[in-house]
Amino acid sequence: MTDLITAPARRAVVAATAQRRARPIALVGAVVAAAGLPAVVDRYTITLAGAALVLAGLAMSTQLLVGTAGLPAFGQPAYFGAGAYTAALAAQAGITNGPAQLAAAAGAGAVAAVLTAPVVLRTRGTAFLMVTFAVQSLTATAASRWRTVTGGDDGLHTPPITVPAAGALTSPAHVYWYTLAAFLCLCAAVAVLLRSPLGLRLAGCAGQPPRMSALGHPVNTLLGAGYTAAGAVAGASGALLVAVHQYVSPADIGFETAAVTLLAAALGAGTMTGAIAGAVAVVACRDWIGAPTAGHGHALLGLLFLTVAYTRPVTAHARQLFARRSRP
Amino acid sequence: MGTVGMWVVTGVDGVAFGMLLFTAAIGLTLIFGVMGVLNLAHGVFYLAGAYLAYLIADGSLLLLAGAFAAAVVLGATAGAGLAVALAPVRGHLDQALVTLGLAFLAADVFTTVFGAGPQLAEPPEVLAGHVMLGGYGYPVYRLVFIAVAGLLAVVLHLVVRHTTAGILLRATVADPAMSAAMGVRPGRVQTAAMAVGGSLAVVAGVLGAPVLGPAPGVDATVLVLALIIVVLGGAGSVPGTAAGALLVGQVQTTGTLLASAAAPFVLFAALLVVLVVRGRRQPQAAGSPA
Repeated sequence: MTDLITAPARRAVVAATAQRRARPIALVGAVVAAAGLPAVVDRYTITLAGAALVLAGLAMSTQLLVGTAGLPAFGQPAYFGAGAYTAALAAQAGITNGPAQLAAAAGAGAVAAVLTAPVVLRTRGTAFLMVTFAVQSLTATAASRWRTVTGGDDGLHTPPITVPAAGALTSPAHVYWYTLAAFLCLCAAVAVLLRSPLGLRLAGCAGQPPRMSALGHPVNTLLGAGYTAAGAVAGASGALLVAVHQYVSPADIGFETAAVTLLAAALGAGTMTGAIAGAVAVVACRDWIGAPTAGHGHALLGLLFLTVAYTRPVTAHARQLFARRSRP
Repeated sequence: MGTVGMWVVTGVDGVAFGMLLFTAAIGLTLIFGVMGVLNLAHGVFYLAGAYLAYLIADGSLLLLAGAFAAAVVLGATAGAGLAVALAPVRGHLDQALVTLGLAFLAADVFTTVFGAGPQLAEPPEVLAGHVMLGGYGYPVYRLVFIAVAGLLAVVLHLVVRHTTAGILLRATVADPAMSAAMGVRPGRVQTAAMAVGGSLAVVAGVLGAPVLGPAPGVDATVLVLALIIVVLGGAGSVPGTAAGALLVGQVQTTGTLLASAAAPFVLFAALLVVLVVRGRRQPQAAGSPA
């Protein structure tokens, strides 16, 4: 039996199996480390970790379109903003229940995505990138101009969220644990979506749109469904933003957020775990390591981008060399 | 009379700003058309030129000419360097990581060296006066700038249409694989396009500094407006870029005067409408991001 496959193929199978076994262990390790964080770091770092989770949610929403559906989406902060302002307005109206805010924000993000999808999905490629950029920019401008509802550039301050049976969450650690739990639910939903028929067909649309239509798949409807799901994820992340900062302003959904989110997805090279790691790395570089450097956070971010972009060709080259050496 | 004059001055200002954006965007469209790379460091090239004008030019035409020459050399070197830096990188998102990463580093250097406040770049003394335009004083420099940028546009258009270099360029934009098969070296054309595009952006910064001066954040403003113009005008087209730049210039000036409440929305609403109406009819740009 073992003679039927060549030695490199066997090695590849062994490596893949080892990777498949190591993955759940790594994931559990990461979750345990994330949950234990408040025990080892100070209050400021806890709030930063919460902000990293918020950006990671937004990056997942972007990766759903960029990595899975092949659409270079720049505008997810628009749906993030729809969710964040929905949660903030609900909180000001007295609905401080966290899960209720989360559900309302996800719904608002999904509705906003459904409404804009027919317009946005008329384009592909660079035109799609620029149309979503326009959607993001128009939303941020609207948030800064519509003072009666959004508070303009001053933003909206909200009371702390409450959780059934635990009351109002005022300590940073409690807010962080709530954010982490909600984020993990979001991850589970995205993981299910990626393995669902819709997720597989979205990946098909990314690779071979003409073949997918020839096989009878309604490509535009599928992409619309994917766009809506991504909008819901972005909206839910918006509710988490309000939970962490108790504040939302147009700056939270601006150009910088959009650029950094898309590049966090780019750091992840098409994978969902990569996008999460990319978002965490962005916040770590810019706000955590970068804070004591007096304004050089963006230079660190630039170094991070360059390092990741150049590590890929180098590792690919090294792998090629290694494969050539080990050939009999 | 006063109102008419105000409209005239605002309209001319829109043309000046549009030509400034044209000079910056034409380099970006060249790079995008030939290499398929959205150069997110393009705004930093402009900012470098603006700081160059602030450093060198101090009122004499000769020093402005010196700054101009320095801009051509610096831009060509930086552009060719960027082409080399992008050579090992595959995929649009990784190219975006590299160009934006370099832009963040360069912007950080500028802020560290020149401070976080805006700097004032004076036009040469010969051109520092005002002429009466519709009852208002209007800076001579801006009128001269419109003429110089217009001349640049005409020269670029003629070069692209009628010279061998222009034909090689258009062939590479239209079909890189076929032009390579015909003996064109795509690598050289790409490096040349990056060098020329970089020069144009730095030159735009030197000449445009008295209109849109050096300050942190100007790089992002120029980049965003130039990206919009490139997408409106179509990759690699000189007349398209000029039309897009003049439109954006008018929206930013006359549009603000017409409807100050709606003005922040007009630019992106126009972009949205143009792209959506054009929709699928436009052939996909070479190697659109996937």
